[in-house]
Amino acid sequence: MKKNAFLFLIAVLFAFSGCAHKELNKQDKFLSAAPRSILIVPVVNNSIDVTAADYMLSTLTVPLAERGYYVFPINAVKRVLEDDGLADSSLVHTAPTSKLANLFGADVVLYVVVERWDARYAVLQTTTTVAVYYQIRDGKTDELLWDNRVQMVYTPDAGSPGAGGGAAGLIAHLVVKAVVAAVEKAAPNYMPLARQANSRAFLYYPGDGLPPGPYVTAESQKN
Amino acid sequence: MRASIKLSGILLLLIVMTGCVAHSHYNWCDYDTKMYSHYKNPAQREAFVKGLKEIIEEAEPEGKVPPGIYAEYGFALYEEGNHQEAIAYFKKEADKWPESRVFMTKLITIAGNRAHVQKENAEASPETLMHAEKDRQKSSAEGLK
Repeated sequence: MKKNAFLFLIAVLFAFSGCAHKELNKQDKFLSAAPRSILIVPVVNNSIDVTAADYMLSTLTVPLAERGYYVFPINAVKRVLEDDGLADSSLVHTAPTSKLANLFGADVVLYVVVERWDARYAVLQTTTTVAVYYQIRDGKTDELLWDNRVQMVYTPDAGSPGAGGGAAGLIAHLVVKAVVAAVEKAAPNYMPLARQANSRAFLYYPGDGLPPGPYVTAESQKN
Repeated sequence: MRASIKLSGILLLLIVMTGCVAHSHYNWCDYDTKMYSHYKNPAQREAFVKGLKEIIEEAEPEGKVPPGIYAEYGFALYEEGNHQEAIAYFKKEADKWPESRVFMTKLITIAGNRAHVQKENAEASPETLMHAEKDRQKSSAEGLK
């Protein structure tokens, strides 16, 4: 009986260490590669919204640079790839990572795929659901170093009803909401949504986010 | 009347002053919005190039030019056929960010070759000069795509 308990304890210990090991692995690969520079290649768009890829591509540079990495100029990269016959982003995503990285001298490559980006229009409110998949691959070994999937639902904020507005306030609020929904339908502004998705993907650390890069860690050591 | 002009002047100044505020490591000056507008309206190229220049002018005095911006502006100049100035910005990027050197060296070589061709054409006969002008127009038209 005592022996059984001992075996059980060992089994539990194994199970625990298995978990811990697996968790460590996810960030370990990225940390041991210790990249300094990130090449952002054009975004693949599998959603029904044609503008989604442009929203995503435009908003990726800021959070990654602020995270402490050198980020290659997205537009220059895009144009050079086009000149090399890689105008289609899905072609870029299927090319070997090491080939792309070599072309620009990048340590790692970031691939972003928009899986869902659909708006549901209603009289008072437009709700948009997005799902984005992020992958960072090693520029030398092609190996997957980090990935994250973000899914979120977004409703543009029409402001809150004024305090003590009573019935008139409520009607005004409804009118404002209807106007916002109409504006959203005519010319939706998805910049906040794209920025939010990127923050969610990169900034939760420790967690599933991206470890800070050399320009951030160097600064914190200085202080 | 005069007071309102003065007031609007002050307001304008305030708006201009708060236009680009560094809230982080770098001064981005609405970089992502500018980039998106460029993809949405590629024909408004002038605004895009001006917007990139604005980031450099705002961020340079405080040493907060973000990575990739010198290169992005240099590339825009290159696409307009302004090869010499493009090279100067590619060099700035390479000096500030060692990670960019492989890419910048390539761009400097390409822009250098183009500048050389341009110069040769300029010294040649009027017929080839016309050709060069066509080339220049073609390269700026390519930039519009």
